Amino acid sequence: MTRPLALLGVVLRKEILDGLRDRRSIISALVPLALLPLMVFYMFQLASDRMERDREITVPVVGAEHAQALIDWLAQQSGVEIMPGPSQPRRAVSEGSVKFVLVVPDDFGQRFARSKTAEVQIVVDSSDESAERAARRARSLIQGYGQLIASQRLIVRGVSPEVVRPVQVETVDLETEQERAAKALAFMPMLLVMTIFIGGLQIAIDSTAGERERGSLERLLANSVPRISIVGGKWLASVAFSWASLALTGVLLLLILERSPLREMGLRLDIGPREIAGIVLVVLPLALLVTALQMAVATLARSYKEAQSYVSFLMLLPVAPMVLMMDTPAEYALWQLFVPVLGQFNLINDLIEGAAFEPLSYAIAASVAIAGAIGMLLLTARLFRSEKIVFGR
Amino acid sequence: MIEIRGICKRFGEIIAVDQVSFQAENGSVTALLGPNGAGKTTTLRTIYGLIQPDGGHVLVDGIDVAEDPSGAQARLGVLSESRGVYPRLTAREHVRYFANLQGLRRREADTRCSALVDLLDMTDIADRRAEGFSQGERTKVALACALVHGPQNVILDEPTNGLDVMSTRAIRSMTRALREEGRCVVFSSHVMQEVAAVCDSIVIVSSGRVVAHGTPDELRAATGLESLEDVFVALTRSEGGPE
Repeated sequence: MTRPLALLGVVLRKEILDGLRDRRSIISALVPLALLPLMVFYMFQLASDRMERDREITVPVVGAEHAQALIDWLAQQSGVEIMPGPSQPRRAVSEGSVKFVLVVPDDFGQRFARSKTAEVQIVVDSSDESAERAARRARSLIQGYGQLIASQRLIVRGVSPEVVRPVQVETVDLETEQERAAKALAFMPMLLVMTIFIGGLQIAIDSTAGERERGSLERLLANSVPRISIVGGKWLASVAFSWASLALTGVLLLLILERSPLREMGLRLDIGPREIAGIVLVVLPLALLVTALQMAVATLARSYKEAQSYVSFLMLLPVAPMVLMMDTPAEYALWQLFVPVLGQFNLINDLIEGAAFEPLSYAIAASVAIAGAIGMLLLTARLFRSEKIVFGR
Repeated sequence: MIEIRGICKRFGEIIAVDQVSFQAENGSVTALLGPNGAGKTTTLRTIYGLIQPDGGHVLVDGIDVAEDPSGAQARLGVLSESRGVYPRLTAREHVRYFANLQGLRRREADTRCSALVDLLDMTDIADRRAEGFSQGERTKVALACALVHGPQNVILDEPTNGLDVMSTRAIRSMTRALREEGRCVVFSSHVMQEVAAVCDSIVIVSSGRVVAHGTPDELRAATGLESLEDVFVALTRSEGGPE
């Protein structure tokens, strides 16, 4: 037992040294980190959506004297500040010196007094996302004012305002802060699972299909070294890269969540070092299986290029469980724990939602991954004994 | 000592090796001579256990390769047909890796490695990464890897293929040195001069069969021809091998 293990160590050390000198191996371990900014961007987007509701706006007004009542009413609304508008509204907006301008025409007062529809203009460049948002709020406030006046006029004429409002839509928004946060974190499991699909990929291919294509495999196998030591050493090197990539991503994720102003922006994320560490622990055993699977597939491929494309296809594997989980978000059946990737996703969701840690569930998902990894390793060791595989077909 | 007893190997329809038998003694160089595609590489691969013959036995120092491939491999040093290297490792790191794979301790591995670097005249490439090594340099690296554990039996598959004169000489003197040490050397070649220069015993194969076996003198006597090249042509042609 000690000799195969010692030899496994020899292979492992060589493959790690080889991997560290290979730019492509390093890149593949670092690629997942590049995905992090995407996730952060997404979370900021969510947070800013939320802030939009009670955004403060400044309303530059031209011709305020024609609609003093409207302007006074606007000024009383929370988060609204009135300021005198520029003399040339269109120019000011297209130059970007103001986001939008509210223009009250000269005849506003007359028409208003005669109960005719009085028009105001909002000058805005709607291609500017933030200007459009501010203008939207001003618009909805002015429409609210219009509704108010309409009701008053109807009442004066002895008509119930309800007559002209046959249907009213009221949206009951049940989204809680917790759920909003969960949405923000929804693709974190995916990100971390992807990390292990990418992190050790290059070594898995290079040490199998690559070694055969370069013509050093025959010499390696001609040595008196058990196949399982060779396969195991190569596998552990791949696992090491995968784990390193996962750990780096975890640490960076943690830093981002801790340091970014998401909390201040009103996105409360109940996720800290404990949760991130938990997720990483859930994903670690999965890395054993994923790298072993990648190696088996790369060994089966006829060439290096073929291995690369097959292994890339494997990256689609975690998508299926993701889709499955959209149907059954909260609860999951026991069998799901026995399905690699799916089980991990469920465990991660539990963690994010703050459910109590279930050692048994963790053990089941981890054991399945480990058993699968052993199966894949034995298969690869067997493939390394096949003449067709070793010498190509 | 390597004994090959009636091995056969077919790949689909093609019979690559057909009842090949010969014996390679210690302290002697045995050449497996034959045209391309005669089954030389396949025969050698059965010796180091990467190809299982359909029939027959291969014994390495009395160990049956089929029964104990690992035990047989431990007594073998193999220069395989493919001379691939790890492009990101230096020549010295290659040799050390194979030394460790053969179970040599660190100090022993370093000593052997330095000795081989000197012996194969590899000082200038020893600490360079193998990326861009010439065919000759790669052969030297591969040979050093094969010999690092001091195996009793040495298999060299077309050792001088594609080498320049200097490298060919280095390989040749290495082969002689191995014989002087009492080791059993088997090498394959399709080049007559190569075989004539170093071998004690010649096995001529054609279309997967042994067509003649003996010392150079015995072969000359048997065919009545003076030049080994003529002997080779006469023997392979009579068996219907390629011209």
